Amino acid sequence: MPTPNMISRMTIAATLPLMLWACSSETSAPENSDPVTEESTEETTATVEDATEGNTGELEIRANGEDFVRQGFVTKDGWQIEFDHLYVTLDEVTAYQSDPPYDPEAGGKPEATETVSGDEPITVDLAEGGTDAEPILVKTLAAPTGQYNALSWKMVPAESGPAAGQTLWIEGIATQAEDTVDFTLKLDPTLGFVCGDYVGDGRKGILEGTGKADLEATFHFDHLFGDGEAAPDDAINTGALGFDPLAAIAQDGTLDVTMADLQAQLSPEDYDMLMSILPSLGHVGEGHCQETELPSS
Amino acid sequence: MQSFSHAICLGLKGSAVAAIAFVYAPLGAFAHGAHIQARTASAVEIQASYDTGEPMAAAQVHVYAPENPQIPLLTGVTDESGRFVFVPDQPGNWEISVRQAGHGDLTVVPVAEGGGLTEGFTNDIGLTPLQRVIIAGAVTWGCVGTALYFWRGKR
Repeated sequence: MPTPNMISRMTIAATLPLMLWACSSETSAPENSDPVTEESTEETTATVEDATEGNTGELEIRANGEDFVRQGFVTKDGWQIEFDHLYVTLDEVTAYQSDPPYDPEAGGKPEATETVSGDEPITVDLAEGGTDAEPILVKTLAAPTGQYNALSWKMVPAESGPAAGQTLWIEGIATQAEDTVDFTLKLDPTLGFVCGDYVGDGRKGILEGTGKADLEATFHFDHLFGDGEAAPDDAINTGALGFDPLAAIAQDGTLDVTMADLQAQLSPEDYDMLMSILPSLGHVGEGHCQETELPSS
Repeated sequence: MQSFSHAICLGLKGSAVAAIAFVYAPLGAFAHGAHIQARTASAVEIQASYDTGEPMAAAQVHVYAPENPQIPLLTGVTDESGRFVFVPDQPGNWEISVRQAGHGDLTVVPVAEGGGLTEGFTNDIGLTPLQRVIIAGAVTWGCVGTALYFWRGKR
């Protein structure tokens, strides 16, 4: 004859896994989690080549490393960083008029009524210009009017140019007290970002008539190095690599390394942290993105 | 995916109805008389928080009406719980951005005719793992209690 105590235990054993499973389900995430690279056949795609006049304006795609890159900054571990060059190579840049608006937290891909895209990789230097330089123009696309509320792009190794073979070329100088490190980080992962609406000062992507609008691929390099102006226990610092691990493997004040070098010379923990940070660099202003491709290790 | 504290989520807390029960009607006409009229309205409440669950208190809010996504119709700040309430006056997609010290998010609230939320619209407010465990534990304990109640009733 079962006792109340036995029934209690049986009930807990039977229901707890079910309840935990039920509570782990996302209530609003769409079921479709296919990467954005599979375009719907119902979408209307416009590029510079097939642009028509009348209801077509210009949509500028810009890349922004923010003041961290243009003006330099202090890392979480006290290194003053100044960038000489920060090359990124963007490919398959695509802007969407998404209805419903795309939510990167929910995943999936934008349900676009219009898309415009660039068809070739372009390398830009996020450190180009002065401390107050405008975000770097990547490409100008002819685009039908409307509200472009989603943006996706890939980052791929450059085929040619100053950063040939590398996705990210981070070159600069780090100083701390009497120590100086001339560094060049040459990283070649393939990354992909699918983002929603721009979040920042003002709106972007709203193209009216035959006018002009812009969208911005924003890169948050404080995720990599941390921010000396934030508290040490702020997640922007606890989740960042900082510069100390890189300074530790510099030789005579110089660090010129590829991703393979970093894998060989950094501790496994630091290298894993670096690899986990790279897919979080891409944003749209302050808005977050879904990362569709992880770096190959 | 790396999780940073500056990632925020905007949770829609549902459509609230603010009901004010009376209308004040002045008895006479005075040069400096004041009039207060009351009505009921369907309001939208959002709640902004960081990934950690910490509310975005006193964060800057911009509310864009469907007819003009360029210029905010309303601006304000969240309360200490990260909440902000507004009354949409037309159907369509209302866009709300919440920003604070370089961190921000934007959400879209589809409003139907009459001011309610569009049927079928859902908005995950992003429960933390701790919240999920607490909910699961509470439900489980409820099942246990119910089983014991009926067991005792048969003896």
